[in-house]
Amino acid sequence: MFLEIVDVFISGLINGSVYALMAVGLTLVYGVTKAFNFAYGSFYNLGGYFAWLLLIPLTVVGGYYSVFFLAVPFFFIVGYLLEKVLIAPLRKYDDWEMKVMMLTLGLSLFMDFGYQSVFGPRIKSLPSIIDGTVEIGKVVLFQQDIVIFILSVSGMLCFGWVLNNTRTGMAVQAVAQNPAGAQIVGIPKDFIFAATFAISTIMVGFGGILLCQKNFVDPMGSTDIMIKAWVITAFGGMGSIRGSLYAAFILGMLEAFVGWYFGMIHVQIATLTLLLVTLAIRPQGLMGRE
Amino acid sequence: MLKVDGLTKKFGELVAVNSLNFEVKEGQIYGIAGPNGAGKSTVYNLITGNYRYEGRIEFDGQDITGLPPYRIAKKGIARTFQVPEIFPSLNVQETIRVGSRFGARGGLDKKHSDEVLNFVGLEEERLQHAGLLNLLGKKKLMVGAALATKPKILMLDEPMAGSNAGEIADLMDLIKKINQQLGITVIIIEHFMKVLTELTETLLIIESGRMICCDRPEIVTSDPRVIESYLGDSYAEDK
Repeated sequence: MFLEIVDVFISGLINGSVYALMAVGLTLVYGVTKAFNFAYGSFYNLGGYFAWLLLIPLTVVGGYYSVFFLAVPFFFIVGYLLEKVLIAPLRKYDDWEMKVMMLTLGLSLFMDFGYQSVFGPRIKSLPSIIDGTVEIGKVVLFQQDIVIFILSVSGMLCFGWVLNNTRTGMAVQAVAQNPAGAQIVGIPKDFIFAATFAISTIMVGFGGILLCQKNFVDPMGSTDIMIKAWVITAFGGMGSIRGSLYAAFILGMLEAFVGWYFGMIHVQIATLTLLLVTLAIRPQGLMGRE
Repeated sequence: MLKVDGLTKKFGELVAVNSLNFEVKEGQIYGIAGPNGAGKSTVYNLITGNYRYEGRIEFDGQDITGLPPYRIAKKGIARTFQVPEIFPSLNVQETIRVGSRFGARGGLDKKHSDEVLNFVGLEEERLQHAGLLNLLGKKKLMVGAALATKPKILMLDEPMAGSNAGEIADLMDLIKKINQQLGITVIIIEHFMKVLTELTETLLIIESGRMICCDRPEIVTSDPRVIESYLGDSYAEDK
């Protein structure tokens, strides 16, 4: 029993770390632009397909090393172009945040059905990043899980470092806190909006590469990820990066323990119950501002 | 130094600024006043590139019409807002350095930032969170962040709003110091006529986006059109 609980705890920790990596990106976009990107889950799938294309049909030299190396510029360009080509033209309208939500919802459906058209309706499986197990006492851990956890946490640390120690990171924080004030001290808001989308797309793309090894690449799987990301963002507090981190790990644990004790079919309803109860008691979420 | 020519802004059917012309000379303290809704803050928003508009704006001999706000800031135009716009999670020192890092030509200048901190009188609060400052502190910090961009011209939007007599005197001293010691041209929107008549050399009165009068303060405040549309008879009688 104890070993089972430890196993479930580790599973929750690993899922939570990847959810945190992904949700922080979504929160960042909301925090800076006040617009919600409903296509976020579809970019998670793009991560899965990106890795699958390179590893299986193209059998790229270097395996996952090449995948991660190429993923950074690829997802940066995709996110940057998404903002510049589709989102930025909407900002001339007064209700542009709503228009962005409508557009990204449409984009999500376009991408999901596009995956079906291009890659077929069947799920794809990715090879493990590493095989084998590690024994710590009586607890057996998959090396794949350890690597996923390390990479997710490293991704978040990189994100935190960029946000707090680079010129762009400081500008992102300034725009998130005060767009008008940021502009008058010389911060190019339009570039920061595009950079924010680019950074968040890198994060969700990495999340897709990491989790699709465990969960397969499913052309219609974006909805599940979008629900998770939305729950984490709202539960943690819209726009609160720290809140999203806490919420991601709480959700990861909740999923693991509910799935283990009650069965996987009850996981989604448990997470949504947690969200609704939290928002009923504390509408701004765990760490959101009133 | 700043030349505004035929400035017009329409929001749908509403003409917020209507064919406005004025010129601010280098080294001046230039006042703008008018009733609420006259379009004073809109003029600031147009000069700093927040809205598209008709007309032409020239600054320091260069046409800045249609430039985005961050490029206008880099040209040397800084502004403040009626409600202090600060970065609540940053401390006082960091807030001023944000202005220096992004707005000043040449990037972050820590020495200049520290000098600005002392200049606006916030050296003791340097590590305090900006969001925890009192109203006067927030106003000084906003001025400090603007000064950190090394501006040639500083546009203040109702800096005295919500201040008591002591704070108004404090802020007036600061504005004089900015103009005289730093040599920065200042434009000030204000409702307190005493502040405008004491500080400014030229005063522009606008109503419904149009210029009513523009001259030395003592002439403007005696102008019957200004008394009728803005100051009221009681001001003229008190005077």
